[in-house]
Amino acid sequence: MTEHAHDHTPAAELSAVPGYYEIMETAVRELLTEKRLFGPGEIRRQIEVLDSRTPALGAKVVARAWVDPAFRARLLANGRRACEEFGITFYDDTDLIVLENTDKVHNLIVCTLCSCYPRPVLGLPPDWYKLKPYRARAVKDPRTLLAEFGTVIPDDVEIRVSDSTAMVRYLVLPQRPAGTDAFTEEQLAALVTRDAMIGVVKAEMPEAKEALQ
Amino acid sequence: MESIDANIDARTGVVAADGELPLFKAGDEVSVSVRYPIGHFRVPNYVRGKRGIVEAVIVPPAINNEEEGYGRNAGNKRHYYRVAIPLTELWQGYAGSANDSLRIEIFESWLEGRRRND
Amino acid sequence: MTQTEHLIKQLPTELGGLDAGPIARVEHVLEPWEKRCHALADVLDFHKIINTEEKRRGVEALGAEAVGSLSYYERWIVAFANILFQKAILTPDELARKMDEVSARYQSEIIACER
Repeated sequence: MTEHAHDHTPAAELSAVPGYYEIMETAVRELLTEKRLFGPGEIRRQIEVLDSRTPALGAKVVARAWVDPAFRARLLANGRRACEEFGITFYDDTDLIVLENTDKVHNLIVCTLCSCYPRPVLGLPPDWYKLKPYRARAVKDPRTLLAEFGTVIPDDVEIRVSDSTAMVRYLVLPQRPAGTDAFTEEQLAALVTRDAMIGVVKAEMPEAKEALQ
Repeated sequence: MESIDANIDARTGVVAADGELPLFKAGDEVSVSVRYPIGHFRVPNYVRGKRGIVEAVIVPPAINNEEEGYGRNAGNKRHYYRVAIPLTELWQGYAGSANDSLRIEIFESWLEGRRRND
Repeated sequence: MTQTEHLIKQLPTELGGLDAGPIARVEHVLEPWEKRCHALADVLDFHKIINTEEKRRGVEALGAEAVGSLSYYERWIVAFANILFQKAILTPDELARKMDEVSARYQSEIIACER
């Protein structure tokens, strides 16, 4: 069998000492490329797609919903279509339901079976979201779990936990912090963290965050 | 398979194919079936046998993800439903608020209850 | 009645409601190979060579010990290898030889750099 040297991964892209699994990944990728199951640039292209997805996208969507009631209504009616208004494409063909936090309901998202997460609009999830303590306890013990994140929800407020098991993904729309009436959309977006869009914390004014530290 | 009668539209006489129309609608009381598929499933053990209410029908119909896990990329489509289940229904002695609840997407073949046209 | 049914009725990746300890707020920046592995998963799904649900089932099929011991992307790449063998896209021998070749190639790169 001839080797296609141009399919070889450049040394600079590998770890200084590639481990067993990195070698496996490199070998699988090179074999599939040699066999033309996908094109040579597709992996690199998809890395660029992934790098372009960060919580800043979700924050823009939330900030717009805070200032524009008609957009908010469209977002709650069809999350994916409203995100697409921002050019946020859903490359994984999932749908998006946006969950509105109110004075009566606090939303939290989890995937107890694996690690489903709204990647097109938030990027890749943090490790803790994918590990056992979060995935086991979010559906059984959400109040104590939220308290570990510093979030205390009164008993008269419903905690609504969404466990992703199929093709719908979730994004929490946090409540807009008080005292932000004069903020620009950009300033509002800066208040919206990834963790607020997962639902483990609320969106807060910077002074409130500092006070907690 | 549903009878033809259950799938005839009274206004037009149009007969829907099996699986085209949702069996349940928002507000329906349902329970999650109890069975134990080997190999791959997407209905967690902790909701099986539990009772809830359909919050929404997910559209359009989609592939059964248990079959998808074994390579089915098309066909056999039915509806998924977003189901609301109180945490007190899921966990004996739940210590949080009685208001707390779960939302979960469940494939039609896993739900039992009074159906459209029953 | 067997003593082992519960091992089959519950998937090793299924965690909802299990007893678990406090949340450790761990996060890490993905290593380049992990990001390539994630991109590989997406590309395989786009082409329906291995769809996302097949990947999940492949990880489940690794069994409890491997699921508990391997890291997230380590589980993915082993699952992909197994599924590719099942689909006769690759053979175990082919992959083993390629892994040896990759390993040797970078050994010689290291030696060349050290000279």
